Amino acid sequence: MFSNHCRCINCITPPHILKKLLENSDSRIRDAALRTLLTTSRLRGERTIRGLLASAALVSSQGRRTISDCGNSISLPAATIGRTEEGPTSTDESVNRAFVGLGKTREFYKEALDRDSLDGNGMRLNGYVHYDASYNNAFWDGSQMIFGDGDDVLFTDFTKSLDVIAHELTHGVTEFTAGLRYHKQSGALNESISDVFGSLVKQWAATPKQTADQADWLIGAEVFTPDIGADALRSMKNPGKAYNNSTLGRDPQPDHMSKYVDMPDTDAGDHGGVHINSGIPNKAFYLTSIGIGGYAWQAPGQIWYAALQASTSTTDFQEFADTTYLKAGQMYGSQGAEQQAVLSAWKEVGIRVSATLVLAGTTARMRRPMADISNGRDEDQADVARKIEQLTGQLATLSKQVANLRSKPH
Amino acid sequence: MKVILAQHGGQAAGINLNRPPKVIDSAALDEPKAAELKRLVAAASSAPSSAASSGKARDEMSYTITIQDQGRETVLSQSDTTMSADFAKLRAWLQRYPKN
Repeated sequence: MFSNHCRCINCITPPHILKKLLENSDSRIRDAALRTLLTTSRLRGERTIRGLLASAALVSSQGRRTISDCGNSISLPAATIGRTEEGPTSTDESVNRAFVGLGKTREFYKEALDRDSLDGNGMRLNGYVHYDASYNNAFWDGSQMIFGDGDDVLFTDFTKSLDVIAHELTHGVTEFTAGLRYHKQSGALNESISDVFGSLVKQWAATPKQTADQADWLIGAEVFTPDIGADALRSMKNPGKAYNNSTLGRDPQPDHMSKYVDMPDTDAGDHGGVHINSGIPNKAFYLTSIGIGGYAWQAPGQIWYAALQASTSTTDFQEFADTTYLKAGQMYGSQGAEQQAVLSAWKEVGIRVSATLVLAGTTARMRRPMADISNGRDEDQADVARKIEQLTGQLATLSKQVANLRSKPH
Repeated sequence: MKVILAQHGGQAAGINLNRPPKVIDSAALDEPKAAELKRLVAAASSAPSSAASSGKARDEMSYTITIQDQGRETVLSQSDTTMSADFAKLRAWLQRYPKN
């Protein structure tokens, strides 16, 4: 009855019966039930893995672009195709600018960050130009990009600004990574991430490519009409100084935590000032880039991208600063020039990286010279230093898990 | 009847914060324009948003239209991704109207 094959028990016996059989006094029955449960788990696992492989085997769309023309209406379904990935150049320059801008952003993410489109899996890129009439804006609607023509009084065509295009597409990247909630500090970080990578795309795509000190660090410099005396929509180098005139008023962005603007979490309050307080992390990135030097999409951009991927929907300025510091140390060496630049940059905008992280790094530095001396006491100190680093890492992981739990609906 | 348009958010959110709302007093309009405004207001007031907000839009603009008429105040708030066709028509009319 209980052969080595036990085919009957391997067929349709429900799991709850198998589990009961595990308690049977007969060891052959227990063994057979255990083998069946293990086999079932293995098969389930294999099916899961096959499913994963199947989806991975789907050919990436490689960020194929389609630009559509809204004809100055607000209806996207009614838009007509302007240009496709392999289609001919359009006679409409807005269509062509959007097409090129989406392409440069896609190429930046591929070459500089090894990311296949916004979702990492070759997500198609769709853009809609000539949205509405005299529309002074461009936005990301959650899955595609929308451009207005401007009113020709304040603003011109928003397809003219590569950093604005890359800014909007980067909202998609953020949504597929940290998912930073669009309000208060997490929202300002969301906006800042888009300005950071928007500016990096512009610097990377420039001919020749621009180093951090060659870049203008302006967002939307090209969208104003010539008569408007404004540098740009925002300045990452000098938040609060992008414009100041009777038509536009004064740029309200702060460049330091002491000037953080508390705004209502409403539409009228810009969801707690997400476009306003982004000036603070923007400046931190600019200072990091200048501090490290060279091309800002290299070490600074890599650090920020890694920190974005390690962040959650509720990450605030402090947590993000800490994460950039950690990532800089992990990627470029503890206490290296990169990590020091990150630390100094955040300090300059009024955010001090958490003391435990700095202490762990300092202890690691102290450990290095002592490693040459071999006696029991030095090894104890090295152990202590390692334990501090481990505990610090565990604390950071735990914080993120708590933040994740908090962000889930109950 | 007074109709007040305020615009919020978008890439130019900082600039929009600084700009005062646009106020249109129907008493200052000629009769055909006043009638047209009244029609647009009535249509927008009875039209719900075309879609619920997905919460995923970024840098979209939102609009608050406040109607003050005979001691009563009605506030309509919709955004680029949620506005009804009638709200969009009223918004466009108000935007086109020359500044005070």
